[in-house]
Amino acid sequence: MDQYPDENEEFELQYQDELELLEDMPHEYDAYNDGPSTSHKAKAALEKRQVFDVDVDGAPPTNAAMHDVSRLSNSTISSPQLSQITFGATQIEESAGGGQVNRRLFGTPKGPTAGRGCSTPFHRMPAIKELASDGTDHAAPLLTAAAEQLQELGLRGKNKRRLERDLFGDIDDLYHESYEDPMVKKARTEEQRDNDAIERILELRRKMRESSKTVRHDDVSRLKALHDFKMKNLSYEIPSWPFLALQRSDLERLYVRYHSEDYERRQLELLSARGQQIGSLLGEAKQQVWQEANELVLRRMAPATQPQIEAAATPSVSPETGRLWVDKYKPRKYIDLLSDEMTNRSLLYWLKMWDKVVFGKAFHSKQEQQAVTSNSNSSSAAQQLNSFNKRTGKFESNGGWRQRKTRQALNTNVDELGRPMQKVALLCGPPGLGKTTLAHTIARHAGYNVREINASDDRSPEAFKLALENGTQMSSVLNQDKRPNCIVLDEIDGAPKQSIEYLVKFVSDGIYSKVKAKGAKAEHNVLRRPIICICNDIYDPALRPLRQIAFVVNFPPIDAARLAERLLQISRKEQLKTDFGSLIALAEKSGNDVRSCISSMQFFNVQKHSLTLQDVLNNNLGQKDRHQGLFDVWGAVFRIQRPKKMLQQNSSGNGDEPAQVTMTNMSVGTRVRNVLDVVHSSGDYERLAQGVYENYLQQKMPDPNFNGICEALQWFCFTDALQHQISRQQNYSIYPYLQYGFVVWHLLFATLAWPKIAFPTRGFEFNQKCTNQRNIFLSLRKGITSSAQGVGQGNILLLDTVPLLKRILSPQLRSVAVQLLSQKEQYDLRHTIQVMVDLGVNFIQVKSSEGHYVFQTEPDLDTLCAFPGAAGLTLPYFSRQLIAREVDLERIRRAAPKGSDGDAAKKPSTSSAAAAATKKKAASPRLPNHLQTLKPKQITDINGRSAPKQQLTKDFFGRVTHKVTASASNEEAKTDAIVKSPIWYRYKEGYNNAVRKDVHLNELL
Amino acid sequence: MALWVDKYRPRELSKLDYHKDQAENLRNLCKQSDFPHLMFYGPSGAGKKTRIMCLLREMYGVGVERLRNETMSFTTPSNRKIEVMTVSSNYHLEVNPSDAGMYDRTVVIDLIKQVAQTHQIDINGQREFKVIVISEGDELTKDAQHALRRTMEKYIATCRIILSVNSTSRIIPAIRSRCLGIRVAAPSSTEMTSVLQATCKREGLVLPPELAMRVVDKSERNLRRALLMLEASKVQQYPFTAQQEIADLDWQVYLRETANQIVSEQTPAKLEKIRDRLYELLSQGVPPNIIFRGLVEHLVNNCDMSIKAKTLEHATQYEHRMQNGAKHIFHLEAFVAQFMNIYKKFLADLVMTDDF
Repeated sequence: MDQYPDENEEFELQYQDELELLEDMPHEYDAYNDGPSTSHKAKAALEKRQVFDVDVDGAPPTNAAMHDVSRLSNSTISSPQLSQITFGATQIEESAGGGQVNRRLFGTPKGPTAGRGCSTPFHRMPAIKELASDGTDHAAPLLTAAAEQLQELGLRGKNKRRLERDLFGDIDDLYHESYEDPMVKKARTEEQRDNDAIERILELRRKMRESSKTVRHDDVSRLKALHDFKMKNLSYEIPSWPFLALQRSDLERLYVRYHSEDYERRQLELLSARGQQIGSLLGEAKQQVWQEANELVLRRMAPATQPQIEAAATPSVSPETGRLWVDKYKPRKYIDLLSDEMTNRSLLYWLKMWDKVVFGKAFHSKQEQQAVTSNSNSSSAAQQLNSFNKRTGKFESNGGWRQRKTRQALNTNVDELGRPMQKVALLCGPPGLGKTTLAHTIARHAGYNVREINASDDRSPEAFKLALENGTQMSSVLNQDKRPNCIVLDEIDGAPKQSIEYLVKFVSDGIYSKVKAKGAKAEHNVLRRPIICICNDIYDPALRPLRQIAFVVNFPPIDAARLAERLLQISRKEQLKTDFGSLIALAEKSGNDVRSCISSMQFFNVQKHSLTLQDVLNNNLGQKDRHQGLFDVWGAVFRIQRPKKMLQQNSSGNGDEPAQVTMTNMSVGTRVRNVLDVVHSSGDYERLAQGVYENYLQQKMPDPNFNGICEALQWFCFTDALQHQISRQQNYSIYPYLQYGFVVWHLLFATLAWPKIAFPTRGFEFNQKCTNQRNIFLSLRKGITSSAQGVGQGNILLLDTVPLLKRILSPQLRSVAVQLLSQKEQYDLRHTIQVMVDLGVNFIQVKSSEGHYVFQTEPDLDTLCAFPGAAGLTLPYFSRQLIAREVDLERIRRAAPKGSDGDAAKKPSTSSAAAAATKKKAASPRLPNHLQTLKPKQITDINGRSAPKQQLTKDFFGRVTHKVTASASNEEAKTDAIVKSPIWYRYKEGYNNAVRKDVHLNELL
Repeated sequence: MALWVDKYRPRELSKLDYHKDQAENLRNLCKQSDFPHLMFYGPSGAGKKTRIMCLLREMYGVGVERLRNETMSFTTPSNRKIEVMTVSSNYHLEVNPSDAGMYDRTVVIDLIKQVAQTHQIDINGQREFKVIVISEGDELTKDAQHALRRTMEKYIATCRIILSVNSTSRIIPAIRSRCLGIRVAAPSSTEMTSVLQATCKREGLVLPPELAMRVVDKSERNLRRALLMLEASKVQQYPFTAQQEIADLDWQVYLRETANQIVSEQTPAKLEKIRDRLYELLSQGVPPNIIFRGLVEHLVNNCDMSIKAKTLEHATQYEHRMQNGAKHIFHLEAFVAQFMNIYKKFLADLVMTDDF
């Protein structure tokens, strides 16, 4: 049982005339409950297919028939819809709830009508039955039925081809043959056809469900059919028709009818709707599939020859118990998938878009469709797919926003190589919805060999690179099936960022150009295999680059009812006593997590073989920490949840259930528990608290006296204190108390109305501003020179000095030249400059946002301690400019050589003092050792000076430079002036009188 | 040395304007051979730092005044780089550990130990120890203070520590007992007036006594603030007039306005606006306890006698809690809401009694 044939093999198996046919499909959901059949199997294995088929389903005709009849008579309900329940009743105590559910499930009655002209691929029993019951004669009615089928198939063929092209090109196996009137068909629009496709899938699913629920309605007629069939095809004497002689285990000789191959095929087509499409399956070589199937059959033959107890028949004894149900009942075919149909199909569509590159088979995509139908609706298929409404199970052709959205999601265009534009699909959704299963199933379905890389593998960038390249460029040698690889990167949100970056480069073909440049590979390799990534959290920062290029498929939660139905099937098979209501409850409790539900069921099965609503409600099973969005949590805090009525009804409808199973009454206790649960599952208390804090005042509350607000704020204080303690002392023992604040806030502020909640940005902005201010302040502090220590440090500087400093630095200056300023203004200006230099503040020119230039303080005093309404620096542009220049000059002055004298600070104070300063310098001569070399130049200097003495020297602007004359008299002083300056020149190639001149810093300033 | 605060700061103990007895004591202290750790405490703007500098000069001579600014960077155990600005001479090192915020313990451990472990270079100097001046010592976290206490004992041979704090209450007793506390009281208003007058005289300005009095009042006996205010007034309008406007501190104005708004209206919407204002104050770096204090002062001034006590009671409660928390805005808002609650009740009662 460990190897089920998958979709492709299955087709081939049907071609085989061997016993595999009975194993592949119904085994998965059909438990072989009737013990005798197993013993029959051994001998039946040698018999022809038809015989065997009947044998399995029909059980030994002798006593089983009696059984079934008695069962039917026992059952109070005799309608075909409910006969299955009767069947199940051999193991399960039928409860009222179960009956209710089943009735609901099978809204469309099937029975005899279903058999008319349509044989579901997964349920070939009714076909045989119908075939047999149609007439008691042998061939004639059979053939007419077959012919009818064929005709219908032929009719459908044309239509179908177009359909599948429109959609996915390869969902043929999903179709079951439904009767279609050609006249109606013509009138259909494309959209309707899509509708049909979906409907058909749904119908098929429903049928399958029914079949898997062991729909053995009218057993008697079936037994009769079986008998007829046997009579037709088996004989103890030598018959008139062609035969094959066989010997039974009891040495009885049997003659089995030998049908012609033609008849065989027709029969097959009758049985299976898919018979026709085998040839066109995925463009794979028929021979290859055939070969595989043969192999499989051989493998299966061996164990089948010896009598062996089927595992499912005896659940407690068999080795199957060791297997997890999750694995056991894993969907193996597309049709089994539980996930949202729209999701499945869009992913499949994407995968089929790769066909051209991978299989070389043109995928009938939009371009072709455009050419044919000139519908101009280029992405119609994708759009229509995506407008599938999962609630109604119908297509919706709403041309609204949903369509536009989906067009963005899947780019249906292909690049020059025929690959889809989005080369990676990214599945995301909470755990347990079947993302991995979907990826595997669909990839297999589309004919790929799945190569999975998950978190358990080494995903360091190097290993990742290797795995990617191997996966996309090589194919397995050992494995016999030569399918192309499809890489499934599971749990990619845990991969290191470098790996994901590599993946992105890899996908966008960025890697290869580099390799090519190095000359390692002359060939320009491109990605030729699809890659499917799976993650839980799409907003993981590491995934950001991937998200932009990938085809993102968001997994919607599974419908609880649908999940519960599947669970019910499993429970049937595993003989777990349960009812639909409790399964619904289980599904809801686990947040529709398939895996968790099945595991819980297995747990209950091992424990006590039953699962009641009470079990579900009383146990903590199946509850996982669902990661809820912040807004959900805030919503839960600010909103009183309305009672969940559905569950209440379910539990009340169950007469068997004790009365204590009362869920959602909205008492305070429940609300408290609810809030605690929600908050607990989210965990990020600090941010949650901040969100509540920034939103609670907006909530509507009748609180005129501030009592509630005061209480709430006390809890905020408490929370804050706790948090501070935790972060400071790492004392997490008090962590649990944090969540109770939310309860109080909920009780205080929650309303039934939908709350308006804004994302808390205030705290963040506040922090940003704090940092900003602090940085400005720090740069101010750093700039303060040691001569201005009186302004204080830290807060004193900020609070006392800075506000007043702004005023001190705002002298009133007229907009005139410096020379024209009044004495007071001169004094103020000088004072301002001194202060600014002391504090290391200056004006710098920056371009404002409006585009003109302004002078801004650096560090930005204006921003520091700037409150709305308070006046900052009031200096006009001109003054700022003036001051900026003066401050620069003053800085240079202060930085001027101090080596000569101790009075460096005094010297450069004003220009008038310059002369005095030079005299002072002259008074302290020093003789450095390089004096000799300079001396001759000094002499020439005097010569040079003598000429300008006659006439006043003027500078470029015509101003008289009188300073030179003042200092020129003293030769010694001159010498010193040059010598003392740290810069001195040595002319090696003579000198030039015209250039040579003493230039002091003072003259420049 | 352009600001008057710096320019006319006394450099020697003998030149101090007030607390002259204390200056005499300090001078005697220098003469003694055993110089203890010191802790100067008093309100800001009282002259603590001035006295410390004078004291250092008394001990080491003018060399102390050759200051250099240095920025030292440290790496915390959590591998975070922090920068601390120090001002130092050959004889002393001044550091403000609050620059490092919550990592001040690292500063204490690394920097102070390192300085304390090295001996004085100048053997001919008067003292064989260096001095570490810790300004704003009350901003030290408890951890840092505990780290300090051992250092103080261990390196007593090579180093003395002078703490400059506003209030001793935030210094752990272990450190308090290791230091000789020197209280520098805020100057009296007459002392301040005379200082202001002296300053103006040296600047060659005429200061009307009324204006001086007003500046002193406004500055809350904070001499630094008073001098800065006077200087600001001078820039704004020189020939002083008695009634001229004196510059206010912006944040004080803002805080006062906030308090007035609280009294004027008590609704959740108003509370939200108040919250914005509180955020503004906090983000501008105004310490929460100062905000708290300012609020309480203004609120108590503006409300009826009967609820004053209650207001103060709640204020103490919330202020205390705030010290145990990290998000000050919660506590500030809680207090504001509590006051609104009280005030509203009071108003309602008032209406009731008026009716009857």
